[in-house]
Amino acid sequence: MDMSKTASFSSIATLSIIQMRNVSASYDSKSFVLKNVSMNVKRGTNYAIVGASGSGKSTLLKLMNGMMIPSGGVVLYNYQKPDLKNRQYRKSISKIGYISQTLGLVKNSSVLDNVMIGGLPRLSFFNSFFKLFPKEELEHAHKVLKLVGLDEKSNRKVHMLSGGEKRRVAIARALMQKPDILLADEIVSELDSVTAREIMDVIKDAQKKFNLTAIMIHHDMNLALEYANRVAVIKDGDKVLEIGVEGEQIIDFQTGNLTQEEILEMYNEP
Amino acid sequence: MNPKNNLLIGAVIAVVVVMSYDVGVDPIAFVEGLPNLGIVLKEMTEFESEHWGTAFWAMLETIEMAFIGTILGVVISLPLSIFAARNVSSKYVYGPLRALLAATRTFPSILWAILFVIVVGLGSFAGILAITLYTIGFISKLQYESIEAIDYDPVEATTAIGLSKIQLIRYVIIPESAPHLLSQILYMFDYNVRQTSILGIVGAGGIGFYIINYIKFFEYGKAAVFMLVVLIAVLAIDWASVKIRDRYIMKAQHGQQVKVVKN
Ligand SMILES: Nc1ncnc2c1ncn2[C@@H]1O[C@H](COP(=O)(O)OP(=O)(O)OP(=O)(O)O)[C@@H](O)[C@H]1O
Ligand SMILES: [Mg+2]
Repeated sequence: MDMSKTASFSSIATLSIIQMRNVSASYDSKSFVLKNVSMNVKRGTNYAIVGASGSGKSTLLKLMNGMMIPSGGVVLYNYQKPDLKNRQYRKSISKIGYISQTLGLVKNSSVLDNVMIGGLPRLSFFNSFFKLFPKEELEHAHKVLKLVGLDEKSNRKVHMLSGGEKRRVAIARALMQKPDILLADEIVSELDSVTAREIMDVIKDAQKKFNLTAIMIHHDMNLALEYANRVAVIKDGDKVLEIGVEGEQIIDFQTGNLTQEEILEMYNEP
Repeated sequence: MNPKNNLLIGAVIAVVVVMSYDVGVDPIAFVEGLPNLGIVLKEMTEFESEHWGTAFWAMLETIEMAFIGTILGVVISLPLSIFAARNVSSKYVYGPLRALLAATRTFPSILWAILFVIVVGLGSFAGILAITLYTIGFISKLQYESIEAIDYDPVEATTAIGLSKIQLIRYVIIPESAPHLLSQILYMFDYNVRQTSILGIVGAGGIGFYIINYIKFFEYGKAAVFMLVVLIAVLAIDWASVKIRDRYIMKAQHGQQVKVVKN
């Protein structure tokens, strides 16, 4: 075996996929909803972002895939600036599985059609126009539908699904993209804790299967600590805390050494 | 009622009276002429039954014309409505296009029929063209309005996936704006059958040709046969579209959330 190849492979595994340096963001160029945020997400990480409502979490996620442009600082995805006006970047955006807080499903289409949308950037103009899906694409769609547990309902119209099922469709569509990274904005926040954990387990499975990096926004700190190995806390547009979780151990990256109780306490403080 | 309202009602009545005098409204002529209506109605009941066959075939031709015109119009409207939608197209495209579509709706189809008789000659083809044009103007408007009303959420989500504009139209815009299309088409066909029934008056084919000519020659018994056939056909189509609507559209919406309106 070629040693240099092995070496470069293992170094890729630890490369950063998202980098932010002193990023600020504003919707009206007067007030900033994010101020001077820096973060570094390595490939393969299971990253969670928590914070109160209105603290700027969704904005942070939109900066990562170029749906928003920072007012200051630098954002890099795979060492390039996410910018939808850049043709080079537009090609790579299909590798970012982004699930917005509102899911963005086509309600009058079937589950399968929604999932196929994730694969459209790979299809030729002709095939996508006439809905001639290649066999391997259909197979992949059914594979991800099985993974999220919706293969039996693949012909159902999306507006006839439950809230949890809709989230599964959005996950399946993102997985259909064959993504490098999954950005998910509070996809389990509105669900009961049993369904929320079911869906988090689905994502955990998918991460293992497809070797995914995930950045997920959560409302529930406990859920974040349970599933993620990195947790960042956003407060009023600032990243006030970043910790790593390894088994029972909590490693601190931004503040002093804290116990899990202290962190939970800190988050629960008004 | 307050005096302001009384004044307003008085003013409206005055305007109607003045205008009626201006255009020559003559109530006495109406009363004196009523017996004529009696004569016509009596003659109309004297059906000339050997005309049922002709009337049937003329009505069939009318329905065929309306059907072809509706389908052609809808097929042309679908791409046009996408180009005319403000949330999909550029203003240099939708601006002129919307003006053009508005122009086609300005005149009733019978005026377009006169124009097309001049262009392609007497007969059904001129009528079909007139119906097609009117349908384009109407369905395009209904469709671009429903495209403009679609939810922005899936549009944003699929942009973030990297879909091309064509894919966006094919997989998001069309499915999200189509649910009302079937009901619009049924309504348009219904409307077009009635319109086509009178196009014969200007020589653009269909059953109206017989009706206008028999009336011209005071053959009310014959005209009545044709008018009755129109009535039956329109009622039948009306009934059928209600059935289709119930079956497909109600079914499509079954399970959709019921909106509770609060006062
Ligand atoms: N499109 C917008 N235009 C203007 N202001 C916005 C827009 N979107 C968000 N904001 C503002 O930016 C701030 C941060 O919003 P953001 O959506 O990032 O919060 P969040 O942390 O995701 O909140 P939540 O948990 O409620 O989803 C809020 O004060 C919000 O009012
Ligand atoms: Mg949010």
